[in-house]
Amino acid sequence: MRQLKWKRNGFAILAVMLAMAVTLWGCGGSQGSTESTQASEGAGEKTFVYGTTGYGVQMDDVGLNPHSAYSGWSAVRYGVGETLFRFNDAMEAEPWLATGYEYLDDTHVRIELREGVRFSSGRTMDGEAVKECLDDLIATHDRAPLDMKIAKIEAEPNAIVIETSEPCPALINYLGDPYGAIIDMQAGVTDDRNVSGTGPYVADTVSDTEITLHKNEDYWGGEPKVDKVVVREFTDTDALQSALQSGEVNATYGLAYSSYALFENDAYNIADCFTSRVFFGQSNYASPIMQDESVRTALAMGIDKASFVETLLNGRGMPAKGPFPSTMRFGDDTVTTESYDPDAAKKLLEKAGWTDADGDGIREKDGQKLTIRWLTYPGRLELPLLAEAAQATLKDIGFDVQVNSTANHTEIRKDTDAWDVYVSALTTAPTGDPEYFFGATCLSASPKNFGNYSSDELDEMQKKLHTTFDADERAELAMKMSQRILDDHGYFFASFLQMGIVSQANVKGMVAHPCDYYEITVDLDV
Amino acid sequence: MTQTDAIADVTVRVQVVRREHTGLMLVALVTLAALIILVALCAPVLCPYDPYAQDLSSALQPPSAQHLAGTDRYGRDLLSRIIIGAQPSVFFTLLLVALIAITGVTVGVLCGWKGGRLDVVLMRVSDLFLAFPGLVFALAIAGVLGGGMTNAVLALAAISWPKYARIARGLTLGQKNEPYLDAARLAGCTTAQLLFRHILPNIAGPILVTAMLDIGTMMMELAGLSFLGLGAQPPMAEWGSMMSDSRSFLQTAPWTVIAPGIAIFVVVMVFNLLGDTIRDYMDPKRRAGRRNARSE
Repeated sequence: MRQLKWKRNGFAILAVMLAMAVTLWGCGGSQGSTESTQASEGAGEKTFVYGTTGYGVQMDDVGLNPHSAYSGWSAVRYGVGETLFRFNDAMEAEPWLATGYEYLDDTHVRIELREGVRFSSGRTMDGEAVKECLDDLIATHDRAPLDMKIAKIEAEPNAIVIETSEPCPALINYLGDPYGAIIDMQAGVTDDRNVSGTGPYVADTVSDTEITLHKNEDYWGGEPKVDKVVVREFTDTDALQSALQSGEVNATYGLAYSSYALFENDAYNIADCFTSRVFFGQSNYASPIMQDESVRTALAMGIDKASFVETLLNGRGMPAKGPFPSTMRFGDDTVTTESYDPDAAKKLLEKAGWTDADGDGIREKDGQKLTIRWLTYPGRLELPLLAEAAQATLKDIGFDVQVNSTANHTEIRKDTDAWDVYVSALTTAPTGDPEYFFGATCLSASPKNFGNYSSDELDEMQKKLHTTFDADERAELAMKMSQRILDDHGYFFASFLQMGIVSQANVKGMVAHPCDYYEITVDLDV
Repeated sequence: MTQTDAIADVTVRVQVVRREHTGLMLVALVTLAALIILVALCAPVLCPYDPYAQDLSSALQPPSAQHLAGTDRYGRDLLSRIIIGAQPSVFFTLLLVALIAITGVTVGVLCGWKGGRLDVVLMRVSDLFLAFPGLVFALAIAGVLGGGMTNAVLALAAISWPKYARIARGLTLGQKNEPYLDAARLAGCTTAQLLFRHILPNIAGPILVTAMLDIGTMMMELAGLSFLGLGAQPPMAEWGSMMSDSRSFLQTAPWTVIAPGIAIFVVVMVFNLLGDTIRDYMDPKRRAGRRNARSE
C-alpha cells in the first residue's frame, strides 16, 4: 500500500518536474534559436517567415488589393506592390515606378514611367495600365479621391498626365501612399484578394492571417534572394516574442518594447527608426469641463512625456511637442508648447477656481469634480501605458482621470457625452506632407476631429496650404497651424513611435523606415 | 488478541487519528482564511507604500530589502499592491459566491417546493445556462457589459447559479415529504415558516460545503477575467490583472508575475483545502464516527 502511494507521489513529482522543465525550455534557448529556424535552404530553397502584428482584420489591411481600405500597406510592405513615388529617410518623395514628373500648370502634372517594368501577370506596365489602375483607385477607394482630387487621367505610351479638379500640391506625395500601388487591373483582384503587382514577390495564397509569396523571377530591380516568404499575423505580442525565440519566425514587426532586452545580443538584429506615428489626445469641446481652457492647459502640463518614453517605452520613442517629428522641416523644432510642470499646472487651476475644498485630493469648482474621462484603446500597446502614467501624474495635480481602454473606442468616440479626452495613435504625415493631418483631424469638418475642435484661423490656413506649391511656404504654414492647435490646447502630443523590426542575425536587408511602408524588399536575404 | 482483532484495533486507531487530523486541519485552515480576510480588511494600514504611487525611476526593481516583492513597470511597490489587491480579489469573490448561492438556492427551493410548470420552466432555463461552456459564456457576457469588477461578478454569477439551483431543488424534494414537515404543517406552520425554519436549515450543510469549495474556483475565474482585461480596470490592484499587465516581463522581470501568482496560488489553495476539509468534517459517516468515539 505504502509502496503504491510512493509510486503515485513519485509520478506526481516527476510530472511536475517535467512540466517545469518544459516551461523553462520554452522560456529560454534564445541563443540557439537560429539553428531551429525555418529559414532553411532545404533543397536549395531559401524560406523566410515574418511574424507581424501589422497585418490582419484589426488593422483593416487584410488582402493585397491597394484599392481597399489599408490593404495597400500590405501590398507594399510585403513586396507585392510598388508605387510611382517612394519616400526617402527625410520623407521626401522620390521616383520609383516613375522616373520623373513635371507640373504643366496648377492642375496638370505629367509623370514619366519607368521602362522595362512588368506585372507578375506578364503584362508590361505602360501608361494605359497605370491609368486603368488609378481610375479604379479613384472609383473605389474611400480616401484617395478626397486626397488627390483627380479629375481625369490621360495615358501616353510611357507616361500619364493627371488633371486635378483643383490645385493639389501634394499629389506626388499622395501617389507614394500605399493605396497608389500600381497593379494590373486586367488581371484583376482574385476572390482571396490577391493582385498582380510589380514588386519583387508574388503572392500564392492570401488569407486574413497569412500570406505566402514566392520570388518574382522577372523583377525589374534585380533578382530577389529569398525563394519563399511567409507573412504570418500575430495578435499577441508575447506569442510573437516566443515565436522569434523558438525560431518559428525569422523576423518580427510589432514586438513589445519590454521584450527588446531579450534580443539585444549577437543572435539578433534590431532595426529601428522614428516615424510620424504619434500618440496624441484630443479634447472634447462638447464636454463642459474641457471647454475650460485652464483645464486643457493643466492637462497638457501634467503629462510627464520624458519619463513615459524613457521608462515605459524603454527609451524607444521621442517625446512630442506637436504633430510632426523633428526630423521633418515643419516638425517639433519649430513649435513650442507647455512642458511637464505640475506646480505651474496647480497654480493655473487654483487661479481658475479649481480647488480641493474637501481634501480628497481631487479639485472641485462649483460643485463639479475635476474628473476627466480618458478614452483610449489597447490595440496599440503604448496607449494604456500612457493612460495609466498620466492618471498618476495628473492625480498629483488634482485630476481624477477615469481610464476607459476599450476595443470599442470607435463607437464610444462618436458619443461626445461619453468621454472628455480621446487618446489615439495616428501617422500624421504618411506621405511626408503636413496637409493630411490637419485635413483629417483638426478642421471644423475633419472626419477624425472627434472632439469638435474648431478654429476659423486654422480653417483659413488649411485653405491656403491646399493651394500652395512652394515647399518652404508649405512648411511655414504647417508650422503656424501646428502652433495654432497647440496654443488652443485642443490637442496634446505625447510621443512619437519608434518603429522596430527585430530579426535573427542571419537576416539581411530588413530595414526600418520612417514611413513604415517598406519591409520586404529585393534586398531581403537569409 | 487474534490477528483479526489486531487489524480491527489498528483500523479504529487510524480512523481516530484521521478524525483528529481533520479537526486540526479545519482549525488551521479556518485560521488561515480568517487571516486572509483580516489582511484584506486592514490592507490600507498594512501596505508599506502607497500601492498606487508611481515612481518611474524605480521601475522594475527586483525584490530587495526596500521592496520585498520588487516593483512593477510603473515603479509601484508590488507587496503593497498585492496586499491592497486582496480586497477586490477576496471580497468580490465572497460577494460572487454569496450571490450565486442565494440566487441558486432561491430558485432551487422554489422549484422543489412548488413543482409543476414553474419547476419545468426554471429547470429548463438552468439547463440552458449549463449547456454553454462556463467561462466562454462569462467572457461573452462580460464583453457585452464592459470591463470592471462589478460586471465581471455579474457575468460569472449569470453562469454559476444553476449548480446551486440543482442541488437545492434535489435536497428540497428529499425533505418535502419527510414526516417532520407534516408534523410542522399540523402544528400550523405557514409556508414561509416551513421553508425558512425547516427546509433551509436542513439543506444548508451541503450548500455551505459547495459554496466553500466554489470560493477558490470563483477566485480563479475572476482573476481569469481580469487577466483577459474584462475584470479590474487600471489602476486597480487586482491579482489577475496584475499578472496580465506584467506578462510581457515573464522573462526579463519575472517577479512582477510571480508575486501576484503566488498570492492567487496561496489564497485559492487555502479556500479549496478549507472547502475539502469542511466537506470531510461534515461527512455523515465521519460525524457518526465522531459520535461513536465520544460515546466510547
